[in-house]
Amino acid sequence: MRNLGLTNTWLIIKREYLERVRTRSFLVLTLLLPAIMAGAFIIPAKLSSMKSAQTQRLVVVTSTPQFGEIVRQQLVAKPDGATTVADKEDKDKDDDDKDLGKADESSRNYAIEIDSNSSDAERTALQNRVDAGNIDGYLWLTDDAVAARKVTYYGRQAGGFMEKSWLAGQLDHAILLQELAQRGVGGAQANALLKPVKLETIRVEAGHETKSNGQAMFFAVFAMVMLLYTAVIFYGVSVMRAVLEEKNSRVMEVLLSSATSTELMAGKLIGVGAVGLTQIGIWIVMAAVYAFPALAASVSTGEIRIPPLTLAAFALFFLLGYLLYSSVYAAIGAVITSEQEGQQLQFIILLPLIISVFMMGPVMRAPDAPIAVWTSMVPFFSPVLMYLRIAVQTPPLWQIALSLLLLVATIAGFLFLCARIYRIGILMYGKRPTLPEIVKWLQYAKGL
Amino acid sequence: MNTVELNKIRKSYDEFVAVDDLSLIIRPGEVYGLLGPNGAGKTSTLRMMIGITVPDSGVVSLFGEPLRREHMQRLGYLPEERGLYKKMKVLDQLVFLGQLKGLSGHDASRRALQWCERLGLKDWTDKKVEELSKGMQQKVQFIGALVHDPQFVVMDEPFSGLDPSSAMVLKDAFLELKTAGKTLLFSTHRMDTAERLCDSICLINHGRAVLEGDLGKIRTGYGKRNVQIKYEGDSQFLHNAKLVQSFNDYGNYVEVRLAPGADSQDLLHAAAAHARLSKFELMEPSLEEIFIEAVGKANA
Repeated sequence: MRNLGLTNTWLIIKREYLERVRTRSFLVLTLLLPAIMAGAFIIPAKLSSMKSAQTQRLVVVTSTPQFGEIVRQQLVAKPDGATTVADKEDKDKDDDDKDLGKADESSRNYAIEIDSNSSDAERTALQNRVDAGNIDGYLWLTDDAVAARKVTYYGRQAGGFMEKSWLAGQLDHAILLQELAQRGVGGAQANALLKPVKLETIRVEAGHETKSNGQAMFFAVFAMVMLLYTAVIFYGVSVMRAVLEEKNSRVMEVLLSSATSTELMAGKLIGVGAVGLTQIGIWIVMAAVYAFPALAASVSTGEIRIPPLTLAAFALFFLLGYLLYSSVYAAIGAVITSEQEGQQLQFIILLPLIISVFMMGPVMRAPDAPIAVWTSMVPFFSPVLMYLRIAVQTPPLWQIALSLLLLVATIAGFLFLCARIYRIGILMYGKRPTLPEIVKWLQYAKGL
Repeated sequence: MNTVELNKIRKSYDEFVAVDDLSLIIRPGEVYGLLGPNGAGKTSTLRMMIGITVPDSGVVSLFGEPLRREHMQRLGYLPEERGLYKKMKVLDQLVFLGQLKGLSGHDASRRALQWCERLGLKDWTDKKVEELSKGMQQKVQFIGALVHDPQFVVMDEPFSGLDPSSAMVLKDAFLELKTAGKTLLFSTHRMDTAERLCDSICLINHGRAVLEGDLGKIRTGYGKRNVQIKYEGDSQFLHNAKLVQSFNDYGNYVEVRLAPGADSQDLLHAAAAHARLSKFELMEPSLEEIFIEAVGKANA
């Protein structure tokens, strides 16, 4: 004999899923969100890179033309770490020394004019040229200014933060080269001395060394938290709405004459949940296609290296976390009588999620501390915190297992509870029940 | 083997007792009416009968055994208010409901289409439910309760809010089911509807059964205590307390309830003495009157 319960649950999942995915609003949201994201991030980035791609015409005012030439070389050099044109051969060896800002900086172009006339008249003349749009600005780098390490840039635009700090770095470098040259250290030797330290972190995991990048890992955890957060806010509410809608239209009476309330709830939760996952999946694919070249490059250079265990943990904890929070939304949907009431309760649902975001810092610093261990067991925190611990430093297997077990048990418990509240709640309509009433309902519903 | 047996079922919500020690029997193949005013406990009773809720005490038996979830596949249910997904297409919806009752997708679709054709919804199967008129929605709901060809159909106020022609179509389908040997149970607060359709009834008030059983027998038991009189002239005889307990003037005729112990022949003489009679007919009491009287007795 076929299993009635599973068949019914499957039918309900299928209906919830198909009816939602087929709607126009699903299609619109699926396409609109990436469009908005593109609008919010990609267009401004493109605009700013277009701007900085323009050649900036600068005049460098120095006391000697030799120093002017050193500065010029520093500014027109394709920045590669802090190297200069002098050690090009070095650059080829260190191909993976690229840093994230590189793509942005290499598009910066300067046309440098060296001026060793530092009279006041010259300054006025330069100011006039800036005014006339003849040049974009000038750097006042006389020996006095260098000695005081107080260099001034005069320009039509004060320049962005990134640009300013880059400029300061290049000038530091130029001044050091000049000083070294004066002490008889020149060329390649000077550059070798000035080569900056690059710190590489290696993560030791189960006896293996894994080249790891703290930034990338933080990014991976943070991406998951944001994804979970977005999914809960977006789709948890739609689970709530789905339960509420059925309550108001009495469809459930018809359904309850065929299926049990647990089947209904499970079907709704999974069906509506799957819609959310589909949408997120589509977005991830879209983002991946867009970012694929950059992503492939950084994976091959070892920039971002996420171990398979972390990826598996991501999928598992994301799914369970999503289910847990959705089941709470479903319970609220079963208790309330209108969406407005639901909105007041939403904050309570999100609170544990917000707390776990605040807990991320302490847990990341000390993933083995008792507080980290125990909070990562608590079902409402574990989707974020246990995943974080796995990503930072693999915890003992029993801890992962216990946390998963608790999470699954809580979801099942909530589903069970919801089904009962739902069943009685729907049949009583009208006012929102008080807590004692809900407890009483659960007793009524024992036999269902 | 009775289709339904309720044995002293009771259901209360907090202090409010919705159904109180209700017992009834529905036999296979009969049309059974659950009657009573609004709030009498009809819907609560129906819900317990089909397993949506569980009684606090008492036993519900279906098809001769205590209610099990497998029974749900053998019954169809039509709720009081529209219970349909508004945004779903008519055919999809019916197939979904049929599948939940254990039909294959193919069978559900075939039967749903047959029914739609029969009830004049053929051109609407691809429309969303919300695009349909209320009457059409009720027909869809009706098909939803029948698409899996259940032995026992339970309908909560099936005729409420329908225009006469839609009501007629549903009534015909209703009678067809009866001919096909199905057991039908419906609730209504309209006594005249019940009077026309039912074999047996249960009258409930404040959650208690006031009258239960075969409609014909119930009526005979109450005797012919009503007289329909059409007359011209003096209406003095209507106020004779020895003969007339109460009367209702409908304009075209007057319906008189005889006083207890009064002879209808005495009333005929009294009326004929003062007025010209064009009609004097002894009537079986209407269900409404039986109900009012039974409730009055129960409250006394």
